[in-house]
Amino acid sequence: MTAFIEIQGLEHAYPLADGGQIVALRGVDLTVERGEFVALVGPNGSGKSTLARHLNGLLMPTAGQVWVDGLLTSDPHNLWAVRQRVGMVFQNPENQLVASTVEEDVAFGPENLALPRREIRRRVDEALDAVGITEYRTHPPQMLSGGQKQLVAVAGALATRPTCIVFDEPTSMLDPLGRRQILATIRRLNAEESITVLLITQSMDEAASVGRVVAMHEGHIAMDGPPGDIFEQGKRLRSLGLDLPATVEIAHRLRDRGLPLPGGVLTAEALVSTLC
Amino acid sequence: MLIQVDRLFHTYAPGTPLACTALQGVSVEIGAGERVGILGPTGSGKSTLVQHLAGLLEPTDGRVWLDGVAAHERSAAARTRRRRVGLAFQYPEDQIFERTVFREVAFGPRNLGLEEAEIAARVHWALGMVGLEPAAMAERVPFTLSGGEMRRVALASIVSLRPEVLILDEPTAGLDPRGRKDLLARVLAWQEETSATLILVSHNLEELSRVVERAIVLTEGRVVADGPVRQVLNDGESLRSIGLDVPQPVALLQALRQAGWEVRTDRLLAEEAVDEITQAWALRMGMGRQEASA
Repeated sequence: MTAFIEIQGLEHAYPLADGGQIVALRGVDLTVERGEFVALVGPNGSGKSTLARHLNGLLMPTAGQVWVDGLLTSDPHNLWAVRQRVGMVFQNPENQLVASTVEEDVAFGPENLALPRREIRRRVDEALDAVGITEYRTHPPQMLSGGQKQLVAVAGALATRPTCIVFDEPTSMLDPLGRRQILATIRRLNAEESITVLLITQSMDEAASVGRVVAMHEGHIAMDGPPGDIFEQGKRLRSLGLDLPATVEIAHRLRDRGLPLPGGVLTAEALVSTLC
Repeated sequence: MLIQVDRLFHTYAPGTPLACTALQGVSVEIGAGERVGILGPTGSGKSTLVQHLAGLLEPTDGRVWLDGVAAHERSAAARTRRRRVGLAFQYPEDQIFERTVFREVAFGPRNLGLEEAEIAARVHWALGMVGLEPAAMAERVPFTLSGGEMRRVALASIVSLRPEVLILDEPTAGLDPRGRKDLLARVLAWQEETSATLILVSHNLEELSRVVERAIVLTEGRVVADGPVRQVLNDGESLRSIGLDVPQPVALLQALRQAGWEVRTDRLLAEEAVDEITQAWALRMGMGRQEASA
């Protein structure tokens, strides 16, 4: 077992009050290597968030196995070790902030790891610095903008020194500036701190900017590959209820009109330099 | 209904150390049947403004007039006007509280004192309008629905009030691409059929381009742009300077223009940009051939 995340035949069903169940995952196989940056896309209800919650043992498989760094998540003895390796950042920053100042909030995770005081201080300082919010350390989180609050949540996850962070639609409640801040931070954490990143997103533009795209549909993995390949398959994506990034859409239509454009054009810059 | 916002100021927690001025003298007029987009960065006052339009807040200074009556007043005239404004907050599904979808959507009409048959008719119509099958959905428990279905139920419970002014605050946030398109198409069809006023708060420039005719940009509690959506969203420099994005087709056309292409940049939609680029390409190819033959 060499991969960082190894998922085999994962199934998950949520029980309903009337005795029935909702099946959210129907046999997922997925391998994520250490240091990868993976975007997880898919329509509402396709199982993305359920899958994410299996990666740090918030949910237990109905069937199948999940290994994180070689640790089986369904073994209760592994739970803390798994959670220390995989941090989570959710959609709504308001629901994730627990303390009355930014630095106390970021300290919450390391405090729960029962670390020495000096180590906590060091980790909090490093985490604040890594996401660029040191200047707000003594501010009450509720006085910050949505984007800044989300950065506090990222710092909080970072302070527990995870190997991997799962971001569940971290930008969907933010304005464009907040979005750019969060994405730039996530990119830097991946490139410089070698943090493995799983980014769940509804934005095809965000997905186009990472190393690998995994598309889910009705509890299965429907597509998996580099964005240049995935976004060549416009018809397939649409049949899954997904879409192309606007720039890729334009590139495809231009190609249909006879302009000499190769496949795999993902950005405006690439499009312009190919045409000029 | 004519909406007039006259030098509107709003300060939260006035007179305390936490005092925060969200609106600093906003004046706009929105006529009956207009489709207006409101955009601006976080903290620019968008949500405060739309709450004033619905008469939910009392101005610190200035006034909001709904057909000539101050929106926040306690008079009967103000109350009847407020009832004609439907406001869907961000993530309206967070406010769902009833046991069944039917009861949730019927809540508003029931409060209007309507007959049971009329209530049922409105629930039926409203569910259909947001794209839910009334027969299949009515007795469902809201919390067993998917996020997209819950959003639709929440919107149905507002349109069931038959508002003349419908204000949607980020109605498609968190929905998948197909859900977004479908919901907006339905809202647009409803607006065209009823000639209601539609006010859409959104960060999604493509959506604004497709739905609204006029765009109002707020920054730090002030209106910094107000005009035809095409014109406002084409002003890349101003949008970027306040932290907003430029629509991708516009950004692409601007980049081509910088590279020396003769293209118009006020093409907000992908299909328009494609036409513009194809034409410019044909022209360049033609010129290249002429040069070669010369």
